[in-house]
Amino acid sequence: MRASSLLSESLAVLGKELTSELRSRVALNAVGLFALTTLIAVAYQIGPYKIEEADRPHLLSALLWIILFFGATSGLARVFVKEEDARTAKTLRLAARPLAVFFGKLGFNLILLLGLESLVVPLYCALMSYTVEGVAGLVLVMACGAVAMAASSTMVAAIIARASGSGTLFAILTVPLALPLLVVLIQGTKAAATSAALAAVIPALRAIVSLAGVTLVAAVYLFPVVWHD
Amino acid sequence: MTERKRFPWWPWALFAWMAVVIWAAFFYAPAAKGFKGESARIVFFHVPQAWVAVLAFCVNLVASLRYLRRRDLVDDARAAAAARLGLVFSILATVTGSLFAKVMWGSFWNWDPREVSIAILLLVYAAYFALREAIPDDERRASLSSSYAVLAFVTMPFLVFVVPRIYWSLHPDTLINSRGSIDMESRMFQVLMGALAGFTGLFFWLYTLDVRLAKVGLRRRQREES
Amino acid sequence: MICFAAVTRVRVSFEKVGKRFDTRTVLAQLSGAVEPGRVLVVAGPNGSGKSTLLNILAGVIRPSRGEVRYRQNEEDIPRARWFAHLGVAAPDMAVYDELTAVENLMFFARLRGLEARPDSIGALLEELGLGAREHGRHVGTYSSGMKQRVKLAQAVIHEPAVLLLDEPSSNLDTAGHDAVARLVDRFRSRAAVAVATNDPREMAWSDARIELAL
Repeated sequence: MRASSLLSESLAVLGKELTSELRSRVALNAVGLFALTTLIAVAYQIGPYKIEEADRPHLLSALLWIILFFGATSGLARVFVKEEDARTAKTLRLAARPLAVFFGKLGFNLILLLGLESLVVPLYCALMSYTVEGVAGLVLVMACGAVAMAASSTMVAAIIARASGSGTLFAILTVPLALPLLVVLIQGTKAAATSAALAAVIPALRAIVSLAGVTLVAAVYLFPVVWHD
Repeated sequence: MTERKRFPWWPWALFAWMAVVIWAAFFYAPAAKGFKGESARIVFFHVPQAWVAVLAFCVNLVASLRYLRRRDLVDDARAAAAARLGLVFSILATVTGSLFAKVMWGSFWNWDPREVSIAILLLVYAAYFALREAIPDDERRASLSSSYAVLAFVTMPFLVFVVPRIYWSLHPDTLINSRGSIDMESRMFQVLMGALAGFTGLFFWLYTLDVRLAKVGLRRRQREES
Repeated sequence: MICFAAVTRVRVSFEKVGKRFDTRTVLAQLSGAVEPGRVLVVAGPNGSGKSTLLNILAGVIRPSRGEVRYRQNEEDIPRARWFAHLGVAAPDMAVYDELTAVENLMFFARLRGLEARPDSIGALLEELGLGAREHGRHVGTYSSGMKQRVKLAQAVIHEPAVLLLDEPSSNLDTAGHDAVARLVDRFRSRAAVAVATNDPREMAWSDARIELAL
């Protein structure tokens, strides 16, 4: 009973996010255009042949994640910031249980990130002629990475939405939390690019999944506090 | 309300202890083998500073968790005091570390995993204070910054324990090396232990001062209200 | 009017509640109660802490000192369950601009676990003076008075046992004011109602009164 209504309430929040995003398209435009701009700047200035063959797997995966991270940072905080800006936060706070809000918003950010990845990664591979041996491994790394990144950035967004000057704070607070994740994501992407065997990405994947798990557990415990105070 | 005024003897003892440690670091301990000149002596300051930076992080976590459970603003003051000292000591550890790196490896910063972890610890502390400054409401500031501290703490172990083990590191073995044994000349070891104790004492002295100051402020405000 | 569930009576009491922002004391040592079946009017000049008091009663702001208790049949309701009994409309709240009035109310009903049908929501909106023609428009295109009506509908959609209204007639015309008066009358019999206001017409609703000073 409780679990099923939590699910239905989370879906209600997610549905509301999607409807209002499709009608305003603010986050979509911000994330998409930001990522495309960075991608074009990188591709134009560096292009496929400026990097030595030996350095390609590592450098190209680092560049890819920098593009993705920048794009994501520009939009992920909006889920909570817009509620405070539009003064709907209190209305939502009084009507919904905190975890439904968290999972609904997490779901929205996850969809946003997966959308961003499926837009940027193929374009990046084409523009930079980045050949990926293990496509399945790359998909796994991207999917798990999106979950981990959505979990930590949704939490940080909830925190900064209640402080003043939230735009700059989001970057300041996310970077230290996201750095370890970015390091393993770059490792995983590099592994997927160089080896077709799924086993190559397992070590990175293990770190990403446990980081995502730990963040989610902490979030479930902390979010009600952050949301209500 | 009034605390009994005791003769604060132990800050003086601490002062004497630190004086002895500083003397011993330069004149009692021998120069370590395998390091350039006298450069290894920085270990007696660098290691305790790094240790205090991590200790402060743990004290901050405990105080933050306690605040979230008991909702007592004194716990928030404890968390903030620990973080303030953590920030100072992680800056000191970074500076002493890069001085050593310059002498030993020729550049101040090598993107060694340990350098990265201390830099991120620094960033976490900085972010923590940036967040605190942006929230005017005491209760909200306390619970949001406590939450951020807990969130940062759960991701830090990955940096401190997982990442340095994935990468090759320039950093000398930590005190207890990868073979699980202590591998250090005995006089050096004594001085290092003394320095660790001294720096830990220094941390707690500064920490209690800061907390007492915050308590006075909280009490005065309460009196003004009633 | 959605459904008339079994009447739950909740008493909200507050004891020595105080709030400070930085060094400024907004509210000092205030005690009282919102009783079921009665209307408590909170009056006082701007900046005297009316909204802060209501926010503390609603549990969205933590008091610096003192405590608030929700009691039902002599039993304390834990803080996490307050919201289920509570309806609030205040100037620092809004409904979603990108959704229509009906979508907004459907959303809030679903969050509260209610089976709301569009026609019953339509009836509630009509009661508050929002004609059926307007129900399908995005709230962003509404006038501020129309938004205020949707906000009020959101506060009562679940027939709360505690109703907190902060300046409920702000932005409303005479007809709107009358609709609010009818709403308060409807809830007076079965809910604990608190109204923060400086409007003499609304002060007249009071069974009990708290005057805040600067």
